[in-house]
Amino acid sequence: MSIAALLAAIQSWPISAAIRGETSGTEWLFPIIETLHVMSLTLVVGSIAMVDLRLLSLASRDSSISRLSDEVLPWTWTAWCAAAVFGTLMFMSKADTYAGNLQFRLKFLCMGLAALNMLIFRFGAYRQVARWDSGETPVSAKVAGALSLLLWIAVVFFGRWVGFTT
Amino acid sequence: MFRPFADWLANTPLSKILQDQSWVVPTSQSIHILAVSIVFGSACMLNLRLLGVGHSGRSVSQLSNTLVPWMWRGLAVLLFTGFIQTVAEPVRQFVTPMFWTKMMLIIVVATMTVLYAKAVRRNAPVWDAASSRPARAKVFAILSTLLWLAIIVCGRFIAYTWSFYA
Repeated sequence: MSIAALLAAIQSWPISAAIRGETSGTEWLFPIIETLHVMSLTLVVGSIAMVDLRLLSLASRDSSISRLSDEVLPWTWTAWCAAAVFGTLMFMSKADTYAGNLQFRLKFLCMGLAALNMLIFRFGAYRQVARWDSGETPVSAKVAGALSLLLWIAVVFFGRWVGFTT
Repeated sequence: MFRPFADWLANTPLSKILQDQSWVVPTSQSIHILAVSIVFGSACMLNLRLLGVGHSGRSVSQLSNTLVPWMWRGLAVLLFTGFIQTVAEPVRQFVTPMFWTKMMLIIVVATMTVLYAKAVRRNAPVWDAASSRPARAKVFAILSTLLWLAIIVCGRFIAYTWSFYA
């Protein structure tokens, strides 16, 4: 099955038509899903920013990195899963439009880079976290924090821009 | 009754400048969402702590001292970007009850947060110990979370309701 055929198939599913308002008799499903997506994504970005700002030694300096991570990151993952579910539902309603949209693609590129950055940090600098857990963070941790912050800001910008270009 | 004012504002030179630059509103909205992330993310972390949900790393007063100032910074950015969006598209904002409801809810939640922060500053040890924490801590936590959720709903629904009233 080609990608175009797959996208067309996704778009023709009953649930996709319902979100578009064609079969559900209401125009409100998409705005409601979009609002839930915004609620989830703000929690993702807000909670990641707390950890990133701590890695940059710009906030929460009274908390160790590992304690802050334990406190915050479970919420980040929960919110990320919610954002992904609602985002997928929005995607399904106009799959071929979104798949071909430049801003949409750039958004996912940035999320991929954010994931890569996280993995490099988690299995690199973070393995020695005990050495700098409560004090000044090493350059590698600062770079990871700054990159994460910038990439998530880009994800929000491209995401908002999708709404203006589709 | 706000319609004549909106029409007048839309014809001011500043509004015309903002309308002519097609990047202004999407950029402002993206920054607005990033600021929502800071404010809503901080509010949720604080409120979950007050409700005793999740990993309790820092004390209530420690968390408040870190997060409440970030909430005010975020709110300042929200007011500025909201102002830009209102000057650029005054009719869109002023005709829908969603906008006015949102403004009223912001005043309520901001007032509540000021009072909360004052109470914690005045008597940190009482608020830090779960046994002596006033019962209104949980009321504040639930109300503030619900208010921020309602504010996000109103904000997103301005876009979907204004054309009914214009």
